[in-house]
Amino acid sequence: MEQLLERILATVEKPSRYVGGEWNSISKKWDQAEVKMAFAFPDVYEVGMSHLGMQILYKVVNDRPDALMERVFAPWVDMEEKMRAAGLPLFSLESRRPLAEFDVVGFTLQYEMSFTNILNMLDMAGIPMRSSDRKGDNPLVIAGGPCGFNPEPLAPFIDAFVLGEGEEVINAVLDVYLAQKQQQCSRRDTLSALAGVEGIYVPAFYQFEYKQDGTVKEFKSDSHVPPVVKKRVVVDVNDVPFPTRPIVPHTDVVHDRMMLEVMRGCTRGCRFCQAGTIYRPVREKDPENLLAQAEELVRSTGWDEISLTSLSSSDYSGISEVIGGLVDRYSSERINVALPSLRADAFSVELAKEVQRVRRSSLTFAPEAGTQRLRDVINKGVTEENLMEAVTSAFKAGWSSVKLYFMIGLPSETEADLEGIVSLARRVLEAGRNISRSKGRLRVTVSASSFVPKSHTPFQWEPQDSLIELQEKQRFLKQRIKGKGLTFNWHEGQVSMLEADLARGNRDLAPVLERAWALGCRFDGWSECFDFSKWEKAFECFGIKPGDYALRRYSHEDVLPWDHLDAGVSKKYLTLEHKRALDGVPTVDCRGGKCPGCGICPSLEINTQLVGGKSVEPVQDLL
Amino acid sequence: MLNLYRICYKKVGPMRYISHLDLLRTMERGSRRARLPLAFTQGFNPHPRISFAAPLPVGVQGEDEYMDLELESPMQAPVLVERLNTCLPYGLEILEAREVKGAAPSLMGMVEQATYAAVTIRPADINEKSLISSIKAFMEQQEVIIDKKTKKGTKAKDIRPGIVKLSGDSKEDRLFIYMTLKTGSRENVRPEEVLRALVKGYLPLNVEEFRITRTGLYAAGERTLFAEF
Ligand code: SF4
Repeated sequence: MEQLLERILATVEKPSRYVGGEWNSISKKWDQAEVKMAFAFPDVYEVGMSHLGMQILYKVVNDRPDALMERVFAPWVDMEEKMRAAGLPLFSLESRRPLAEFDVVGFTLQYEMSFTNILNMLDMAGIPMRSSDRKGDNPLVIAGGPCGFNPEPLAPFIDAFVLGEGEEVINAVLDVYLAQKQQQCSRRDTLSALAGVEGIYVPAFYQFEYKQDGTVKEFKSDSHVPPVVKKRVVVDVNDVPFPTRPIVPHTDVVHDRMMLEVMRGCTRGCRFCQAGTIYRPVREKDPENLLAQAEELVRSTGWDEISLTSLSSSDYSGISEVIGGLVDRYSSERINVALPSLRADAFSVELAKEVQRVRRSSLTFAPEAGTQRLRDVINKGVTEENLMEAVTSAFKAGWSSVKLYFMIGLPSETEADLEGIVSLARRVLEAGRNISRSKGRLRVTVSASSFVPKSHTPFQWEPQDSLIELQEKQRFLKQRIKGKGLTFNWHEGQVSMLEADLARGNRDLAPVLERAWALGCRFDGWSECFDFSKWEKAFECFGIKPGDYALRRYSHEDVLPWDHLDAGVSKKYLTLEHKRALDGVPTVDCRGGKCPGCGICPSLEINTQLVGGKSVEPVQDLL
Repeated sequence: MLNLYRICYKKVGPMRYISHLDLLRTMERGSRRARLPLAFTQGFNPHPRISFAAPLPVGVQGEDEYMDLELESPMQAPVLVERLNTCLPYGLEILEAREVKGAAPSLMGMVEQATYAAVTIRPADINEKSLISSIKAFMEQQEVIIDKKTKKGTKAKDIRPGIVKLSGDSKEDRLFIYMTLKTGSRENVRPEEVLRALVKGYLPLNVEEFRITRTGLYAAGERTLFAEF
C-alpha cells in the first residue's frame, strides 16, 4: 500500500492533505489500544482541520490509555479517482490503516451539503453503506454535530447519532463499546446498550410512518429505548478537557490559528439560528483559565494568531479582560488576537481596535435584515443606530473596508425589507465617504445568503422561498447594490434549497441521498463540484422534486420528523417565539438577568454559567 | 549588529510533500515553539526574516537544504540547532548552523547549481550499460526542448543548457540517475523536466515512479553555501 500511495501522492493536487505527520498529531501504538476510533470529517483536509470540535475529541480520546483516535478527511476528487483506480481503500492519516479496520468511525455533521461525502467515504472504505447491512466486524458508525439534530435523511446509514456536546458523550460511547466487546456481544446488543446512554439516538429502534406532507403520521420506538432522546451538554466549561496542544497543519487551512473557545452557547435568540438553540445555555469560561490556556497554546503551537471563538465573542463578559491580557503578553512576540464574530455596535469596534493594532483587514457585521421591522421579527437585537455607530467608529479608526451580512427570504419579508438592505448599504458607504481617510480603498461588501429553515428553531415551521423568488430577490439587490465602492455577493439558491430539504427532511430522503451519490454527487458545498441536475434526477427517481421539503409550511400541531430529538428548548417555547416573531415582538436575552423561559435549564438540570460565578435564575415553567 | 544564521537542514519523509510556502510557515512556527528571538520585517504586516536558497519541488526530498534566519539577539549556533530540532516535525531536521559574519551574499543570490539523485525499480530490459549509453546519447543533443506549462498555456523551453551533468548506475534491482542542474538563475531546470525528456525516446520508464532527492546545493564553482564565511 505504501508504494502505491507514494506513487499516487506524486500526482495529486496538494498531497500534504493525505500524509499527516503534523506537529502535535498523535500516533499511538495500534495494538496497545483496546478501542480504535477514526474521526471522519466529510470535507477536505483544509476545512476539517479548521474545526475545533475535532481537536477536542482528538484530545479526549487520545488522553485515554485504552483508546486511540486517528483522522480521515474526504479525499478531493482527483485523489478519489486515483485511489479507486489503484484499489486503495480510504485510510487514516496517522497510521495509514484502512478505515474498515477501526472499531468506531465517527462522522461530524457540520453541513447538510456534506452528506453525500459521508456515503462516499463509507463506500471508499469498503464499509457497507447501510447500517442494516453491517456485520459483526464492521466498524460502528456514529455521527454527531449540529445536523445531528435532524439526522433523519441519514438514519439508515448511521448506527448511532450523538446529540449534543461530544466531549460529554464520547467517553460513555467508548466505555459501552469496550464492555460489549469484552462480553462479545452482538452488534444489536451493542446498539441497544448505546441507546441506553443519554444523548445517544439509535435510529434503528425508532419507526416512522409519514403523512403525504412529510410530517409524522405514526411513530413507534422499541420498548427498551427512550421515546425522546435528550441532548447532552457540558455542565462546567472550566472543568472540561480543552486541546491546548492542537494539531498544527503544515498547509494553509481555513482557520490557520489558535482557537481559544471563550464560551459555549449564545442566548441572543435570533429566531432563524439553530446554533442558538442547540448550544444553549450560555456557559462562559473564566478569564484566568483562558489566559492559562492561551499560554499553553502559544508555546505548543507556534501559531501567530489567537482567535477568540464562540458564537458571539463580543458578548462574553470577560472579553475586555481577556483581550487586554493577551495583547499585554503577546504583542511583543507579534502574536495577533482575532475576533471572528463581532456584534454590530460601537463596543465591538472598540474591541477590534484594541486587537488590530498591527493589521488592517476588513470588519464584518451581520445586521441580517434591512429594516427594523424585520430585525424585530427575527429578534436580531441590532438597530440601525447601532450599525451606523459601529461603522462610523470603524471608518474613524482607519478601516476602509466593511462587510455586511444579510439574509434574504426571511419569513414576512417584503420589498421594503430589500429596499432596506440597499439603503443601509448606501448609508454605510456614505458614512465612509464622509469619514474615511483612504477614500480610494473604501469598500462596502454586501453578502446575502438565503434563509434556510432549520429544525429546533422558531422558524422550523416556516417554508423557504421558492427558487424563483430567491433569484428575483437576488436580482433586485444586484441591480441596486453596485457602483464605486459597493460589492454584492450572493449564494447559489439551489444549494440553499437542497440544504433546507435535508435540514427539514425525513427518512424518505435517504434513498434520494443514496441515488445522488450513485449519480456522482460529491462536495455539494463546493461550486466547482455541485451539479443540480444530478440532484433533480435523484429526487425524480422517487417521485419527488428538490424543494418539496424546503417549501412546505408545517403547522404547530404537526409532529415534525425531528420531534423525538430534544435540544432542551421546549417546543412550547419555540411555538411562542414563532408567534411573537410574526407579531414583530422581540424577546430578551437571558444574559441580562431575566429568563424568558426557553426551558433548557430546568429540562437539562443545568444553569447558565457567567464569569465570576454568576448565573441567571431560570423560570421553571413559564407556559 | 545583524544576528544572521545560515542553516543547513533536511526535508525528507512526509515533509517532502509540503510546499515551499508550507515550509516557510513550518519553520516560523518551529522557531516560535523553540522560542528563538526571531527578527521581523518592518511595516503593517511584519513577517520573520527567514529566506531560503531555492524552493524544492513538492514531492522531492532535500538532504542538503539551506535557509538564512535572522534573530533579534545573538545565540550560540549549536544551541540554535538543538533548540530548533526539538520543535520541528518529523522529516525536518537541522544539520548545522553557522553565524554569518559581515556581508555575506544572500542565499538566493549565491546558489547556482543543485545535484539530484532519482531512483526507481530497474526493469529487466535495462541494465547499467544500456542506461549509460542512453544517457550519453541524450546528453549529445544540442538542445532538449520541453513543453513548459505557463499561465497562458504551454511554452517551448530548451533545458539542455541547464543540465550540467547527467549520469546513472544500477545497484541490485534499483536504477539511479544523478543530475547536476542549474538552479535559481534563468536557466533553472527541474529534475522532473529532465526525467520527462529522458524517458521520451531514451529510457522507457515511468517518471511518476521515480523518487527524487536533492542531494546538494552549490554556489558558483561548486563551492558550498557555507563558503563565504
Ligand atoms: S431557561 Fe432561561 S436562563 Fe436558561 S437558557 Fe433558557 S432563557 Fe436562559
